[in-house]
This record gives sequence, C-alpha cells and structure tokens, in this order.
Amino acid sequence: MSAALLAMGLLSYWEFVVEPRRAQLRPAGPKTEEAEENTLADLGELLLWCGLPALALALGGGWWLTRKATEPVAALTRAAERVNEHNLREQLSRTGNGDELDRLTEVFNHMTERLDDSFQRIREFTLHASHELKTPLTVMHGELETWLGQENLATPDRQRLESELDEVQRLTTIVDGLTLLTKAGAGLVRLAREPVPLDELVREAAGDAQSLARPRRVTVQLGTCDPITVLGDRHRLRQLLLNLCDNAVKYAEEGGQVNLELLPANGAVEVVISNTGPGITPAVLARVFEPFFRGDASHSQRIEGCGLGLSIARWIAEAHQGTLEIHSEPGKLTTARARLPVASSGAVGP
Amino acid sequence: MRVLIIEDDKKTASFVRKAMQVEGFAVDVCHDGETGLAAAGVTPFDAIVLDIMLPGRDGLSVLKQLRRQGISTPVLLLSARGEVEERVEGLNAGADDYLPKPFVIAELAARVKALGRRGGESRASILRVADLTLDTTTRLAERGGAPIDLTVREYRLLEFLMRNPGRICGRMAILEKVWDYSFDPGSNLVDVNIMRLREKIDAGAERKLLRTVRGLGYLITDSP
Repeated sequence: MSAALLAMGLLSYWEFVVEPRRAQLRPAGPKTEEAEENTLADLGELLLWCGLPALALALGGGWWLTRKATEPVAALTRAAERVNEHNLREQLSRTGNGDELDRLTEVFNHMTERLDDSFQRIREFTLHASHELKTPLTVMHGELETWLGQENLATPDRQRLESELDEVQRLTTIVDGLTLLTKAGAGLVRLAREPVPLDELVREAAGDAQSLARPRRVTVQLGTCDPITVLGDRHRLRQLLLNLCDNAVKYAEEGGQVNLELLPANGAVEVVISNTGPGITPAVLARVFEPFFRGDASHSQRIEGCGLGLSIARWIAEAHQGTLEIHSEPGKLTTARARLPVASSGAVGP
Repeated sequence: MRVLIIEDDKKTASFVRKAMQVEGFAVDVCHDGETGLAAAGVTPFDAIVLDIMLPGRDGLSVLKQLRRQGISTPVLLLSARGEVEERVEGLNAGADDYLPKPFVIAELAARVKALGRRGGESRASILRVADLTLDTTTRLAERGGAPIDLTVREYRLLEFLMRNPGRICGRMAILEKVWDYSFDPGSNLVDVNIMRLREKIDAGAERKLLRTVRGLGYLITDSP
C-alpha cells in the first residue's frame, strides 16, 4: 500500500514538476520572448504551490498508512517480547476479522498455550524426578548409616559401607545439580533481586579460595576490589564465585597462582579470576560449559567434581543478565570473566 | 520426649523411628498428611518431623493448618527437593528447622533433640572439650594453655563443633551454620577447612579431638 502511495507521489511530482518544465523547453513557436518568460514564472509558481504540497501529502499519507497497516504487527512483536514463563497463560486479544494478522495472533496464542503445557510438564518432571530419585537415596543413606552405627563391624566391611556412602553422596550432588539445571533451563528458578555488595562477596571468595588452595600450595592473590553493588541473589552469586575459584584452584598447577579482581567495566562490573597452569586447548574450551563435559586434563590429573559446576556458574551469570566467558593461553594462563550489570542508584531498593 | 514422624516412605520412616528410639524418644509414625494432622491435634508432641511431599495433603499445608489451629509444636521439615525457595517457604509457614534429603540420621536426631529442648545448642560463653577451650567473647582458642591462631571461618567452624560436643555435625549443617549456605554449593570447602583446623588443634597433641566420620560428618569429642 505504501508503495502505491509513493508511486502516486512520484506521479504527481512528474505531472506538476517535470512535465511542465519539459513543456517550457519545447520550441515555443510564435510566442515572444516576454510571453515565454511569463509562462516560465507561472510554471515556477505552479510548481511551488501545487507540486511540493502534493509530494508532501503523498509521502506523509504513505507514512501514516504504512504505520496503520503495520501497527498490529508491532503490537504482536511487543507481545512476543513480553512473553516469559510466568505469563504464558495471558492470551493476546484478537480482532476476529479473520485477516492474516488475526490468524497470526491465533497461531501465536496457540504457541504460548503449548509452551505453557511444556513448562508445566518440566515443572512436574523435575518435581517428580527429584522426589523419585531422592527417596531411594535417602533410604540407602539411612540404611548405610544404620549399618555403620554398629559397634562390632569388621574393618573391611566398614570401609566398604563408607565407600558406598560416598557414592550415595556423589549421586545426590548430581541429582541436585541436574534438577537445578533442568529448572533453570526452563526459567523456573526464582532468584532474589536485592542490592548485593559484590566486593564483599569477592573478598569472601578469595578467603575461601585460599583455604582450597593451601593443600595444593597454590597462592591466591586479591587485586583491585573496590566497593560496588549489583542487584541479584546473594547466595547464587556466592555460588558463582565459589565455583570459579574452585575451578581456578583445581586447574592451577601445584604451587601455581590464582588471581582475583573486581573491575569496573562500562556500566557493568567484571569479576576476573585467573589461574596459571597448563591451560585449556581451544577444542576443550569450546565445550567447557556443557553439563558433564570434562577436559582430558581432569581425567589425567584425577580432578574431583561432578562436571556441572561451570554450567551452573554460567546459568547464574546469565540469570543476572550477565555473561561468563573463559579464555585460555595454553601453558600460561586461564581466565574466567563474569560480567554483571551494576545496580543504578535509582534501581537500588527492596 | 515424644516425637511425631509424618513420612510416607515406609523405609525412611522406619529408620528415622529407630534413630529416635535410640535417643530415648517415644515415637509415633503417620504415613499421610491427614492422619498426621489428626494425631498432632490429639497428642501433645514435643517435636514433629514432617515430610513435604506427602500423598493427599502435602507437608506445607499440614504445617499451615497446625499453626492455624494454634499448635506451636516445633516442626522440622524434610524435603526431597532441597531448594532454597522451598526452605524459605517452609520457614515462613512456621517451620522451626529444615533438612534436605538424603540426611544424616545422627544429624536429624540432634536437630530434633535441639527442637525439643527449645533452647537449642549450648549458649555458654566459654566452651571446653578436654584441654581445648574456646572463649566466644574474646574469640580466643587455646589447647593446653597454648593459644591457637584461627581465621574467621575456622573460628566459626570450631565454635559450631564445640557447641555440639560428641555429636556428628554433617556437611550440610556445617555449610549452613558456618558458611550460611542453604544448599550445597559444590566444593570441598568443608573438608579443607576441617583439615586445616585439625592441623591447628590436634597437631602434636597426643589426644586427637577432631574426628572424621566418613560419609557422615565431623565431631569434636573427648572420649577415646
């Protein structure tokens, strides 16, 4: 439609502006020079008073009609942008006139309905899966503990039961991690949103890193760490920092070094945690955030862990509208950068 | 002390009952919410262990109903999900404690005991186990008269263990009391700090006080 109007505008331009000008260039026959000059002036006026307004009208009308025609599409776009896992039940209002846009709205509504069903199923699945898995784990844990409580247990038996208890705990950690990631992936984990002094959390993480590092004679250094507040979930942010420190210490070489820094970064803040050590090859680096993925180094060096830490860490960063990236210079330094938006002074509040 | 256990899984209910009986408690068991609610309304219990996921009426609803009826018996919630929000919801609904599954039975027993006493752990300002003392006002630790230099975490860890002498403190309880985590953040923080604390208080001493109970937790005890 807008194209048609634009064409009309161009046509009127042609008619009022170009055509008269061509006419005036034509040989004028018996007309005198003076008359010819008058005609030229008339034409100039005609051009000014009719051609330009017509052009403006055509362009303005075209713009208005285009807007009007695409407004429902814009509304649909806005609605699509607003959709999240909490408002899937809200349906968009339809015009009911059966045109393409009305049909599109209907399809959109059906899609959100189906999504809502899927989210519901994921909620139920995680609820049931953790319950179904944790109940036998609780029973196994309880029975092993009861056995271990017996005074007259022979040492080999005791060791076997203890080792099984360790496995039950490992399985529990995996079930917990998987449940969290499944729910997080579906956007179903609620996070607090309160002002958190990130510098304090980084200092605390440095202290924890120090105690983790001591057995491996790794040194931990805390660099720049100026007061800064972010909006978020204190406990999850602590978990993010602890996971990164834990990794940095694990993958540093014996006697190596871990550095922590909190740096302002253009409306955001970056927690930079780096460690010396063998580093990560590009092929491995591309996959480090995948659940259960563990690089060759972790197998050869017998590094403990269930392989979910970085997946969880990345989820936490992203759930805070931030990012988590890992870079590595093999043989030198591996650096994790968690970038989080800073709380603007106006946004700070309960 | 009389304890009510509301837990639908028979096996879990059975070993929880045994553990409570070992502690010398009288124990009643119900396998669903409605019966549990009825039992709590009739008998004055000293503590209730309540599972959240129950057939029919779930644990949180039982808890809310109890509080609505003016029954203020301390309640410990058990949950298979162990999620932060669920814990908050439970405590808001009037629960006194919360333990994620699977739990260490010894820890459950200790917590139930603390609920029954209502006073909780010892509030003494000078804690003593054998020749190890911890002054909680000056934050000074001494073993056989020799001062021990502790970090803030190590201090809190030692205080928690010494307030529960002879009792197994599970990893989860330590993470909660010393690190203020209500979920396992996935790290061996507890183990490395215990290791360090052990070096500081037991190294060179003939009698080792800080023990590891593999798979269950740690305890400080004077007994051999």
